[in-house]
Amino acid sequence: MSQAGMTAGGHAGLMERPMFSVPAKKMAMWLFIIADTTTFAACLVAYGFIRNANPNWPRPFHSITNLALMTFILLTSSLTMLMGVRAAKAGDKSGALRWTLATAALGIMFALLHLREWMTLIHEGMRLFKNPWGTGQFGAAFYSITGLHLTHVTGGVIALVAVGLRYKAGRYNADDLEILGLYWHFVDLVWMFVVPLVYLLNLAH
Amino acid sequence: MTTETQKSGGMKKDLVVYLCLLALAAIQFVIAYQSIDASQMLVRMLIVAIVEAALALLFFMHLAENRGLLWFVVVFTVSVLLTMQYGWTDAFRLSAGAPWAK
Amino acid sequence: MHDASAHNQVAHHAPPTSFIRKHVFSLDHKVIGKQYYGLALVAVLVGMALSWLMRIHLGWTNFAIPGLHLLSKNGAPGNVMTPEFYLQLMTMHATIMVFFVLTTAPFAAFGNYFLPIQVGAEDMPFPHFNMMSFWVTFVAFLVLVSSFFVGQGPTLGGWTQYAPLSALGEVTGPGQGSGVVLWAISIAMFCVGQLLGSLNFITTTLDMRTRGMSLWRLPLSSWSWFITSCMGLTAFAVLMPACILLILDHVAGTSFFAPGGSVINDQVQPHSGGSTLLWQHLFWFFGHPEVYIAIVPGMGIVSHVLVTNMRKPMLSHRVLVYSFGALAVLSYMVYGHHMFVSGMNPVSSLAFSFPTLIITIPSTVIVLIWLGSLYGAKLRINAASLFSLGFISMFIAGGVSGFFLAQPSTDIMLHATYFVVGHFHMVMGVAAMFGIFAGTYFWFPKMFGRMMNETLGRIHFWFSFVGAYAIFMPFHYLGMAGNVRRYQAFTPDYMQPLVPLHQFITIAALVTGVAQLVFLYNLFHSRFWGKPASDNPWQATSLEWSTPTTPPPHNNFGDKLPEVYHDPYQYGVESSLGDYVMQASPEQVKTVHDEA
Repeated sequence: MSQAGMTAGGHAGLMERPMFSVPAKKMAMWLFIIADTTTFAACLVAYGFIRNANPNWPRPFHSITNLALMTFILLTSSLTMLMGVRAAKAGDKSGALRWTLATAALGIMFALLHLREWMTLIHEGMRLFKNPWGTGQFGAAFYSITGLHLTHVTGGVIALVAVGLRYKAGRYNADDLEILGLYWHFVDLVWMFVVPLVYLLNLAH
Repeated sequence: MTTETQKSGGMKKDLVVYLCLLALAAIQFVIAYQSIDASQMLVRMLIVAIVEAALALLFFMHLAENRGLLWFVVVFTVSVLLTMQYGWTDAFRLSAGAPWAK
Repeated sequence: MHDASAHNQVAHHAPPTSFIRKHVFSLDHKVIGKQYYGLALVAVLVGMALSWLMRIHLGWTNFAIPGLHLLSKNGAPGNVMTPEFYLQLMTMHATIMVFFVLTTAPFAAFGNYFLPIQVGAEDMPFPHFNMMSFWVTFVAFLVLVSSFFVGQGPTLGGWTQYAPLSALGEVTGPGQGSGVVLWAISIAMFCVGQLLGSLNFITTTLDMRTRGMSLWRLPLSSWSWFITSCMGLTAFAVLMPACILLILDHVAGTSFFAPGGSVINDQVQPHSGGSTLLWQHLFWFFGHPEVYIAIVPGMGIVSHVLVTNMRKPMLSHRVLVYSFGALAVLSYMVYGHHMFVSGMNPVSSLAFSFPTLIITIPSTVIVLIWLGSLYGAKLRINAASLFSLGFISMFIAGGVSGFFLAQPSTDIMLHATYFVVGHFHMVMGVAAMFGIFAGTYFWFPKMFGRMMNETLGRIHFWFSFVGAYAIFMPFHYLGMAGNVRRYQAFTPDYMQPLVPLHQFITIAALVTGVAQLVFLYNLFHSRFWGKPASDNPWQATSLEWSTPTTPPPHNNFGDKLPEVYHDPYQYGVESSLGDYVMQASPEQVKTVHDEA
């Protein structure tokens, strides 16, 4: 692999230094992120493939207000997550918990706005298999990709609350919070691709 | 450096990156309203999104501080993502083929 | 700098006391490895039995197989299988073999048992994930097999589940409704299981190595499991969403893979806008790495077994590792060679053909290193080394036919024939099976503390080796004669002269299958009544032979983790033990064969 692995011995531990000096838990999160990137990429590729194959692709989005608000909230939640991790690293337990819960709250806001948007679309007649504007594939692609993302957000919110509380109780440490932070930033990162590909390219002109 | 200055200095950096990300996100929205064709728009938006992702990876996820891990993650992910791009020729061809399109 | 060991002590857990924790929901990687092996054993017996049913039908089309009707409500009137039931059996045979045997046995079973020991760890970093990985896989197997007894039986779409056949539902054939859904659920679960496993394997290799175990000191088997898990991490992550989209096509009315305007039984299907090729792209993006997920652990096991029995290191340890890595990287770039006849864009065909021919280079390098290392070696002949030689033989014989299939011009003629069936059964199926056998004969003493019977092992080898060639070599002739795949009977005139060859293959398959009973008997008899094994019966060097007891204790190495002083294969040297130095032995020896 890399040169780092070739330096044998020479330290006090009972084991080799972890690769890249990244302990197993954090490495596992990075590996999960790599795998999950592939999963999202597969979904986005499928979406693009189908979009190219359907000339009557609809462009139903008229307003970007909701989307802009959602993007703003998710980006801000990344910032509060960073604050939380920073507080945890500095030993400020209650501060870390506050920031983590704030992040979770922003995640909930994002999810609620997302659901409101879904409800509006459903109300307008958009289903997984048909919609009033063009090929039925649009709903299938839209709901499955944003649904996958929303699942990640929901899981993240639950994890934030659970890990935050357990961190305060002393069962988890600052490193664990940082590892969860990686996940949260990743969810944010995926949204940066979902926004242009799934929403903005389908904006009505 | 004490933890306190480290903390405030780091926080300043986080804030700058956050503002940059907001700005880039705004640029994406602006691109969406340009009157260019979809492929042009896609290219521009993807470039912006990749810059955003890079910022998030480097600073929010702290890969900038760990060169080895950065290479591992980026080379692994990007090479896999690149091999996913084989299918496009078929997708474009289908848009012209009648039975598929309907 | 943090203390590395303090960071990594996440795997500590006391030996379990309750029966459930010890044998059922065990967190011990060794128990999980054995559970995977048991699952693979059950699966391979089911898969083999299904292949017998198919072979009997192919040889003697009207032969009534007693009791066949028990397997299917409508598929076997008078105990003779219908064409649809033949396809259902074929699909289940392939799915079970590829996923639940070739992936679980060499990778998940042996990898789970020996990867942590070979790197010198007490366990994997995430024992709970590891346990989940097995049980999710186990339930996935149950779900798959249960489709025999649900609705119209299992799916008949082949293990590749090509759309639109797989996406349109029951109207396209028995089992295409609930059968496909169960298939997709099972495979999606399997993906989750293997993702969890891959996560554990990679972190074990990167972060759990004992002191002195640098990456280049890892045995070749560990390297192969590590590289395989890197493939698994991204390949299964694509198959899982693909399966979910397929399920949506069935249960939510979407049309991801179902094109518009399909007319079946004079009825226009209510789908539009989907793409059949999209499924193929997603599936083969997983599917080709999967081929290497099945074979690379076999290569690693065979290298490990051979090097021990050759009593000298490989010509180049590093080039072998680099070649494994090259196979992994290239495996993602070649997947389209499965789609040459699907009507791809010609540009894509070219773009896939080229790396497909390139990927033969690392394969050839690997084989040449094996052969070059074997040259002049005083190979110890035993069941394990015989099966390793068998692996090489099968890999070469099956690999050579790959050259013809790598080129679109010849592939288009051969693709839908038995030529391809013969090719992948030899290079991926039988070769990987031989890798599993080699690993079993080699590691059984460590896993169970008893030796397997050597004579029975050799009998098993010769029957399997000759039998496998007798079965699969004729497939190539059949293919070139134009014998189409997936036909359940050969009624067209031009195929009539081929039927005697099919009958020969069927007899060969039955005989070879019965020979596997010798293996089963050997396995179970030796497990309980075999000769007790010493800690290091093969005079091998790697860490699994340095455990304080055999089988290893709960935490593998007792009170103290071993420290590694040597490259993995110090054979052909002079030491206090004889002609080898254990990795964990501090003895300083002048090496005769210095590694590159």
